[in-house]
Amino acid sequence: MTTLGVRQRKPRPLLGSHAFLLVLTVALLAPVVWAILSSFKPAGEIIRNPLGFDPATFTLANFRGMFQDVPIGSGFLNTGIVLVAKGAITMFCAPLAAYAFAKYRFAGRNLIFGAVLLTLMLPTIVLVIPLLLEMKELGWVNTYQALILPGSVDAFAIFWMRQVIAAVPDELLDAARVDGCGEFGIFWRVVVPAIRPGLAGLGVLTIMNIYNDFVWPVVAASSSRMATLQVVLSTLAQNISGNRVGADYATVTGELLAAASIALVPLLILFIVLQKHFINGILAGSVKG
Amino acid sequence: MTTRSASPATKVFREPAVEPRARAPRRRRRTLPLRRLLAPYVFVLPFVLVFLAFSVYPLFFTLRLSFTDWHGSGAAHWIGFDNYRYLLTSSGFWSSLGNSGVLWLLIVPAQIVLAVLVAVLLNAIKRLRGFYRVAFVVPFVTPLVAVAQIWIVLFDQDNGAVNAMLGAVGLPPVGWLVTSGWAKPTLALLFLWKTTGFVVLIVLSGLQQIDRGLYEAASLDGAGRIRQLRTITVPLLRRSLMFSLVLQTLAVFQMFAEPYVVTKGGPYTSTTTAGLYLYNHITRADLGTGAANSFLLVIVVMAVSLLFVRLLRAED
Repeated sequence: MTTLGVRQRKPRPLLGSHAFLLVLTVALLAPVVWAILSSFKPAGEIIRNPLGFDPATFTLANFRGMFQDVPIGSGFLNTGIVLVAKGAITMFCAPLAAYAFAKYRFAGRNLIFGAVLLTLMLPTIVLVIPLLLEMKELGWVNTYQALILPGSVDAFAIFWMRQVIAAVPDELLDAARVDGCGEFGIFWRVVVPAIRPGLAGLGVLTIMNIYNDFVWPVVAASSSRMATLQVVLSTLAQNISGNRVGADYATVTGELLAAASIALVPLLILFIVLQKHFINGILAGSVKG
Repeated sequence: MTTRSASPATKVFREPAVEPRARAPRRRRRTLPLRRLLAPYVFVLPFVLVFLAFSVYPLFFTLRLSFTDWHGSGAAHWIGFDNYRYLLTSSGFWSSLGNSGVLWLLIVPAQIVLAVLVAVLLNAIKRLRGFYRVAFVVPFVTPLVAVAQIWIVLFDQDNGAVNAMLGAVGLPPVGWLVTSGWAKPTLALLFLWKTTGFVVLIVLSGLQQIDRGLYEAASLDGAGRIRQLRTITVPLLRRSLMFSLVLQTLAVFQMFAEPYVVTKGGPYTSTTTAGLYLYNHITRADLGTGAANSFLLVIVVMAVSLLFVRLLRAED
C-alpha cells in the first residue's frame, strides 16, 4: 500500500496486477464452477459437450441417481457426528494445552512440546496399520470412537494457538490472578476472549480438516454403515477409475460430479459466511519474525 | 510422562521460582500455590493421553512389527532386518521416493514463487483485495476427494473439458492421466491448485509485519520495485518462507489421497508416491514390510524437515 502511495502517478503496474490476479482467480474458480454447473446437465451432455451449458436441459437426474447408488445421506450423518464430537474436543483441549505451553514454565514442557512437533511430522499413513490393529484389539473397528478419538487433540492446532496465545500480554493474566481468578478461570475468562479471532480461524480450519479427512476414515470405517462423506465419495471414484465395465461411463461421471458438488457446497457456504474470521485468524496466528 | 514421575510440587522452577538463598521473607511471589504448579500439567493432559494412546503405542507396535513377517493373522516370525533389507534393495521403494521427490520439484519451488508474487500484488492493491483473498482460499476449503473426482473428469483424455479447450484452439488432445509423462504434472497441478492459496495467506501475514517505512526510505533512495522486492521483502519474509517450505515439504511427502483417488498410482507406477507405496503393503496384508516401510518413511520425512528447520535456525 505504501508502494501505491508513492507511485500513485503511475497506475499501469496496478492494471497489470489486476489482470494477473484476475486470470489466476478464474483458473482457481473454474473447476469448482464447472463441476457444479455440469452436475445439472444430462449425463450424456457432460461428455459430448463438456464446455457448453444449455439451461433448457437443466436436470436433477445425476443427483437422483447418485442418491440411489451410494449412501450419501448416512455419509453426511456420520461426518456430522464426527465433526461435532471431534471438533469440540479439539476446540477445547488444543487451546488449553497451547495456553500451558505459552504461559507456564513447568518441568517437562519442552519434552511434551517435542511430542507435539513429532505428531506434526508423522505422516498419518505411517500410523494407519498399527492404529487399525489397535482398534481391532479394542473392538472399535467401524465405530464412532475409532473415527473420533485418534488425532482428536490436533497437534497443528496446539502449535498454532501457542503462537496466538503468546501474544496475549502477561499483565492481563497477572491482573486477573490478583483479582482472585483461578488458573482455569484465567484461561476461560481472559485468554479465550482475547484470542477470539484466532479461535474463529481455528474453528473453520478444524471443521474443514475433519470434514475433509479421508486417509483414516477409509481404513477405520470401511463398512458402508459407518462410511463418512469422503469415503462414500471415493467409492464413486473407484467405479469410474477402476471397473468401467458394467457401469455406463456417462452416468457414473454425472453422479460423480453431483456427489462432488453436494460435498463442496456446505463448506463453501460456511467459508463464505465466515471468511473474514478465517482469513484474519490465519493472518493473526502467523509465524512471528 | 513427567506428570507421573516427578511430583511437580517438589520441583524447583527456573522463573518465578523458589530461591533458597534469597532471604527476603515471605514475599507473595516466592512460592507458587500448588494449584498454579499443577495447572499446566492438567491443561496438557488430554493431549498427552491422546499422544500416548494413538501415537506412541502404535509407533512401538510398528517398530516391533517391522522385524517380523506377520501377515495379519497367525504367528509372526522374528526375521531381523530382512524387511528393511528387502525394501532398501527393491526398486519399488526407491521409485516411490523418487516419484515423491519429482512431485516436490514440480510443486514446491513454483508454489513459493507464485505465492510471494501473489501476496506482494495483493498487498499493493486496495480494490478487490477481499475478493481475491476469498477466491484464492476457495480451493483450500474444498474437499480433496471431491476435487480429485473433478480432476478425473476434467482431465479425461477423450471426454474431458481440458482437452476440449485444447481442441477449440486446434491443439491435439493430451493423455493427462493415462501417460506416465503427464500423470505427475497433472497431479502436481491438482496439489498446486488446492494449496497455493493457503501459502499466499502465510506469506501475506509475513508481509504485514514488515515496517512500511522501509519501503518509503528505499524509494526515496531511488530503489525501484524489483530492487525493493529483492532487498527488503524477500529477506524479511524468510521466516514465513521457511515455514511454508517445511509445511509444504511435509505435505508433499505425505501425499496419498490425491494419487489414491485420481490415478491409483498409475500409469505403471509413475504416480505411486511414498505414501501410496506404503499403503499398498497394507492392502496386500504384508504388514511386516509395511511397518518397516513406515519407519523408513518417517526417517526420510524427519530428516528432510529437520534439514529445513536447521536452515531456518541458521538464519537467526
